[in-house]
Amino acid sequence: MRKLLTLVVLFACAAFVNHAGGVRARAQNAPPPKGGPVKKEGAQKKVPSAPSPTTQAAKPKVTELKEAGLKSLFEASVARKRPLLINFWATWCVPCRAEFPDLVQIREQFAADRLDFVTISLDDASEIESSVPDFLKEVRGDAMPAFLLNADDPEVAINMLDTTWRGELPATFLFDQTGVVVYKHKGRVKPDELAAVIEKTLGAKE
Amino acid sequence: MKKLYTLALLCALALAAAVAAVPSTGAANESNASGPTIGAVIEEFKLPDADGKEHTLSSLKGKNGVALIFISVQCPVSNAYNERMEKLAQEYKAKGVNVVGINSNVAETPAAVKEHAAAKGLTFTVLKDPGNKIADRLGAEVTPEAYFLDASNKLIYRGRIDNSRNGDSISSTELRDAIEATLGGKPVQKAEAKAFGCSIKRAS
Repeated sequence: MRKLLTLVVLFACAAFVNHAGGVRARAQNAPPPKGGPVKKEGAQKKVPSAPSPTTQAAKPKVTELKEAGLKSLFEASVARKRPLLINFWATWCVPCRAEFPDLVQIREQFAADRLDFVTISLDDASEIESSVPDFLKEVRGDAMPAFLLNADDPEVAINMLDTTWRGELPATFLFDQTGVVVYKHKGRVKPDELAAVIEKTLGAKE
Repeated sequence: MKKLYTLALLCALALAAAVAAVPSTGAANESNASGPTIGAVIEEFKLPDADGKEHTLSSLKGKNGVALIFISVQCPVSNAYNERMEKLAQEYKAKGVNVVGINSNVAETPAAVKEHAAAKGLTFTVLKDPGNKIADRLGAEVTPEAYFLDASNKLIYRGRIDNSRNGDSISSTELRDAIEATLGGKPVQKAEAKAFGCSIKRAS
């Protein structure tokens, strides 16, 4: 527990220093589209370079995240006073693929300026320009900002969401406007149940 | 100097925020994941292999312990570890630690388990866990997930095999470290480590 706390604190420090710059930069810009103002993580880092496909138009953009970037997602939503829905998935995860259309429908049910909704792929970073955007395109999964978590230590990321989570996919979490987790679900979501929790969370704000 | 103070202050603020945020995002107040805690003694159990032959935990255990690894026929994450699991099995057999696979996925039949082991060159015993009884007892949720028990069936380590799914960037080998520490009579540095993987499909 102590170790975890130390980790969180370390992260907070790193993220905060990081974030402070990000906030200033963002303040000068118009609000980002679709509530995804997380700055690109690992942009300077060596990302396995895939040949840029010029044949296809507009592949969904998938942004690489590190642990600190994941944390700043929470902070950004809290700053906007919006609930944040996060779905963890992977192209290799059969139930994840199966539930994606339900998620897209959830996105359509709620206004983007009331609910932040991001998807985070756990595919290999080498898939960031290939199978991940290909699949998203197929299921209209670009309706929400798409990220790929390339964590140095997956455990840190898992515990950031839920210490009881063993890392199984898919997993879906809803955080309220203040960043408190109000829903967590491992396995395929039940759309009605999820929609009801979102309604309730949005209603609690007013 | 002033800048430094500001930075320190910011950090202190961040620290306070982080501490405040722990119960919310980390759900730290909940009881931890299900299954035995580290140090618990795992009770004897009996499961069939892919041929239907029954094995007990004590019959499969090496003289220095056993690494039970929940695996899958179809899960790409589990499959990415086939070679590494086989290597561990070969290497530690001589040192008295046996690797045993357990397949608890409801949709993966004994025949599929047998075929998979042959195709992937897995020479260690793979058990079938009908009704996911042992997965439930051990709290296993994901493949691959390892449980290392020492000679007295005490749970020494639980979690991932290493930190790198595709094997390209292995920087920590928790399962191996736990076995090595135990063989050397030393305390284990990290008794639990998690990773993303496929969920075990349970019988409903």
